[in-house]
Amino acid sequence: MQISEDALKQAYRQMKTIRMFEERLHDEIMTGEIAGFTHLYAGQEAVAVGVCEHLDYNDTIASTHRGHGHCIAKGCDVRGMMLEIYGRADGICKGKGGSMHIADIEKGMLGANGIVGGGPPIVVGAALAAKLYGDGRLAVAFSGDGACNQGTTFEAMNLAVVTNAPAIFAFENNHYSEHTGVAYAVGSKDIASRAESFGMKAWRVDGCDFFKVYETMGEVVDHVRAGKGPAAVEFDTERFFGHFEGDPQNYRGEGEIARLREERDSIEIFREHAAKNKLVSKKDLDAIDKEVSDLIDKSVEESRAAAPPTAEDVLTDVYIDYI
Amino acid sequence: MAELMLREAILQTLFAEMERDENVVVLGEDIVGGMGTEGGPEAIGGIWGTSTGLYDKFGGDRVIDTPISESAIIGAAGGLGLTGKRPVAEIMFADFLGVCMDQIWNQMAKFRYMFGGKTECPAVVRMIYGAGLNAAAQHSQAPHGILTSMPGLKIVMPSTPADAKGLLTTAIRDQDPVIFLEHKALYAEKGEVPEGEYTIPFGHARLAHAGEDVTIVAAGLMVKFATKAAQGLAEQGIGCDVIDLRTTSPLDEEAILDSVENTGRLVVVDESPPRCGLATDIVSLVTNKAYASLKAPPEMVTSPHTPVPFARELEKAYLPSPGKIADAVQRTLAWK
Amino acid sequence: MKNIKAFTMPKWGIEMQEGTISEWVVKEGQSFKKGEIIALIETDKISNEVEAEFDGVLRKIVTPSGQTEPVGALLGVFGDTDVPDGEIETFAQSFEAADTGTAVGRNSDSAAPAPVETSVAEAPAPSAPAISDTSFDNLNISPKARELAIELQVDATQISGSGRNGRITYQDVHQASRPDAAVDLGGALPVPADDESIFASPLAKRLAAMNGIDLKGVTGAGARGRSRKEDVLALLPDAGARPQASLAENADNTPQIVEMDKIRKVIAKRLTEAKSTIPHFYIRSDFDVENLLEFRRIGNKVLSTKASLNDYLVKAVGRALVEHPDVNVQVHDDKIHYYPHANVGVAIAAKSGLITPVVKNVDLMDISDISRATTQLIKKANTGKLGFADLEGGTLTISNLGMMGVDQFDAIINPPQGSILAIGGISRVMTEMEDGSGEFRSKLSVAMSCDHRAIDGAAGAKFMATLKSMIEDPELFF
Repeated sequence: MQISEDALKQAYRQMKTIRMFEERLHDEIMTGEIAGFTHLYAGQEAVAVGVCEHLDYNDTIASTHRGHGHCIAKGCDVRGMMLEIYGRADGICKGKGGSMHIADIEKGMLGANGIVGGGPPIVVGAALAAKLYGDGRLAVAFSGDGACNQGTTFEAMNLAVVTNAPAIFAFENNHYSEHTGVAYAVGSKDIASRAESFGMKAWRVDGCDFFKVYETMGEVVDHVRAGKGPAAVEFDTERFFGHFEGDPQNYRGEGEIARLREERDSIEIFREHAAKNKLVSKKDLDAIDKEVSDLIDKSVEESRAAAPPTAEDVLTDVYIDYI
Repeated sequence: MAELMLREAILQTLFAEMERDENVVVLGEDIVGGMGTEGGPEAIGGIWGTSTGLYDKFGGDRVIDTPISESAIIGAAGGLGLTGKRPVAEIMFADFLGVCMDQIWNQMAKFRYMFGGKTECPAVVRMIYGAGLNAAAQHSQAPHGILTSMPGLKIVMPSTPADAKGLLTTAIRDQDPVIFLEHKALYAEKGEVPEGEYTIPFGHARLAHAGEDVTIVAAGLMVKFATKAAQGLAEQGIGCDVIDLRTTSPLDEEAILDSVENTGRLVVVDESPPRCGLATDIVSLVTNKAYASLKAPPEMVTSPHTPVPFARELEKAYLPSPGKIADAVQRTLAWK
Repeated sequence: MKNIKAFTMPKWGIEMQEGTISEWVVKEGQSFKKGEIIALIETDKISNEVEAEFDGVLRKIVTPSGQTEPVGALLGVFGDTDVPDGEIETFAQSFEAADTGTAVGRNSDSAAPAPVETSVAEAPAPSAPAISDTSFDNLNISPKARELAIELQVDATQISGSGRNGRITYQDVHQASRPDAAVDLGGALPVPADDESIFASPLAKRLAAMNGIDLKGVTGAGARGRSRKEDVLALLPDAGARPQASLAENADNTPQIVEMDKIRKVIAKRLTEAKSTIPHFYIRSDFDVENLLEFRRIGNKVLSTKASLNDYLVKAVGRALVEHPDVNVQVHDDKIHYYPHANVGVAIAAKSGLITPVVKNVDLMDISDISRATTQLIKKANTGKLGFADLEGGTLTISNLGMMGVDQFDAIINPPQGSILAIGGISRVMTEMEDGSGEFRSKLSVAMSCDHRAIDGAAGAKFMATLKSMIEDPELFF
């Protein structure tokens, strides 16, 4: 499908930002300076970006615990995100949410979620609101092959169908739900068929190829914006790091990660496709690489030096009016 | 003024608020009733009679009858709230809190805090609770204790039709998530309800009965029992302050302390089991901040540490009663 | 790779606080390539290889293998070969580990908090300006607390309130008005090594350990046979004696010396004077109050005020005094003041001390009036609002200690009054009735103290007889 060079460069920038953000975090987390749990999205960039490039700020998304990628793809401030992950007072959630609860409502990002399956019900609500606003906006719930087994996901799909809500259920099948393989945990042959049996149209696509994702999502988004009901998409994708940082990944096969990075790297696949079809020059892509690298470096530097929240901040923002 | 049943006051308020603000959306199981049947929509109008006629007036986009999916319903309320709507979701029996606890506890209650104060979720979750109608263990519980302990929520328990109207109006207009608990045995209770719209602020208790000798604290149905007990005790020359909390979170701490500082005696009535509940919360507050005023150890009149039993005699033994409350009052007066 | 880079103890997972290098695979001075293993590190949960993230040279090993270090600590220094040794050394020396602690880990608060500072002010010295009704008008304070502060003359503006938003409670004022507590600390005790085969409460185990008692095989009287403190105490060789002896030996019984306040000093002076200058004599009697109690019960149902037993006594005394003008007197040196009407004092135990305001012209009041008057006086006494007019002009005071469980007592006369009535408790006594049968009747103990300078024995006795007949047959005095 047609996509302008500028749009392609923007998409690449987003994907590269996600990749470098996550890879840098992987290193920094080892130093122990970042508290708590972090779950990295590296390897799945094509999905987040391929979906979000069809959305604007009126559309909303809800994410999983592996939410940095969706957050960046939806347009959230990278610097603010880094500060948040470092637990600083100027983070986009004032240091109160952290990696697992990272959000920015103004960009239509309804939050990463620490509860598997917590997102889909919220997205149905956002979709119902979208229906009432009546301007074609929609809501996307990102889930993994883990959440596709949660009752809340099923309830949400059914409710979306019976209320004809403009919701998209995006299932990123990276083949592992925590430390268990999808061959064991998902009883049906795939995930998309589950959505279909709930009564909605479902698509399947290779999640490591931005161009395929973008094209498919064009159809999906058109379908939903036209009021034809909710939709589901199953993306076949890979995650390069562990379930959480610190996960020794003993469940991986011999040389599996090396092979994935070799054969299923969405950044490389993008570059190859762009080069083969002369869509964007290598020079331009390299320049974007440098800009992104600088941005990430700067964000990390700033975050390490930034001030943390104070003890008084514990008590604020529980209620809007305190009595 | 009109004399209304509590359920009528609720219905009236929903009509008024939906009319006033087009962003108010109502959702729940069978709130319309009859969807997808030959009998057609509005065959029931809500099993409690608190949503009759809403669908006809406001249509299916704002009055959403749902399948039996509490997680999805409450989660949707959260999502609607985050994206600019004012949802009023109903949980048919408060006991079903079990199947949607995550969406209340981990999602709705915590959005604002986790997201650094940058979001608002003005959702109201109405739950029908309480024992007394032989609905047995899984349809009779009172979850206000558990819910009050969750930071981020406001918990409302009206005891009269007039209060129900004013408090529900406030709840729908409040920007924070509110849990609105309606006692099934109070639905047919009649009372004078002022005409026109009015709000009752949260954290503002009502003095249902006044006296100098003992303070009785109660909420919901228990206010009715406490008031009855107080009236009986008045004939014996014993004066009781009956404090109707109206909201357990925020709590009108001052009303409780002022009364106990005057009477020196406290009885708390709660229809939940005794461990880690509303009664222990109030008693510990008073013991900590008004120890110097106490003339006797505080008394709690609660249900026992059991599920709600079925048989009439058993449920009667389970619930507090005016007699049990009066006995507790006498115990505080007998302290040497 | 950058010129110099720190190799720190990695954080693997949220729980990891420290690790141990089990082996340095790359040796000091050796170079390595990305993907090669640099070292093996062990934690209490896992053992893992540290893979190189880039090509580089291990210039210095800071932490040898076998040593345990916290997360974030410097293990080694990577650097290009052309970086001088001196710089590597400086880097290592000046390296500061980042804060990697958690709220419950190494960097949490230390164990012993500073002792609690009482942030409330002491009660002001007598010379401070008087605290009035309006002193706390704009203060966030509860009504009862305000009343107490005014009554006790406590400067509530100095109190940090414990109520919500800093509201001052009655309890805050109460605490602020009291002197510091003299706490007798018992100190920490050693916890005995726990033996799960012995089923005893923690306290029982500790007591047993302290006293060398073996609880093996002992079945206590607690739930499910658990041994409790009482069971251990029963097992002690001289059961009861030894623990008490050591308690008595170790207790510090130094008194706390408190100077009397103004009001108490006055009371002390007056009573000393009364007891030493007035020749007291005593007349005691038991009044049958069975009828009076019933009369009161009915009366309260009918009347608007809830009259107390004491109110009825006041009324009876008023009538009796008027019938015995030689008892209705005040004594001033060698002058006797005879009063036409009865002014009866009622003794009230206000918070500041005993005070005896007077109900005037009681003989002209009906029972509801008296009840209202005494209630008023009690209120005024408790809020410190009694004036001189309230306190003077009485000829007899009624002091009632019956509700405190006292059988009988003798009171000291309040000069210049002529007498005082001490009311004790009501007891149920088997009494012989007119028809010879026996019945339990409520008897009220009454003791009158008279000033013998003005009132003779006979006069006092006749007064008591009149009073007794009025009390025992209440309709007589209405």
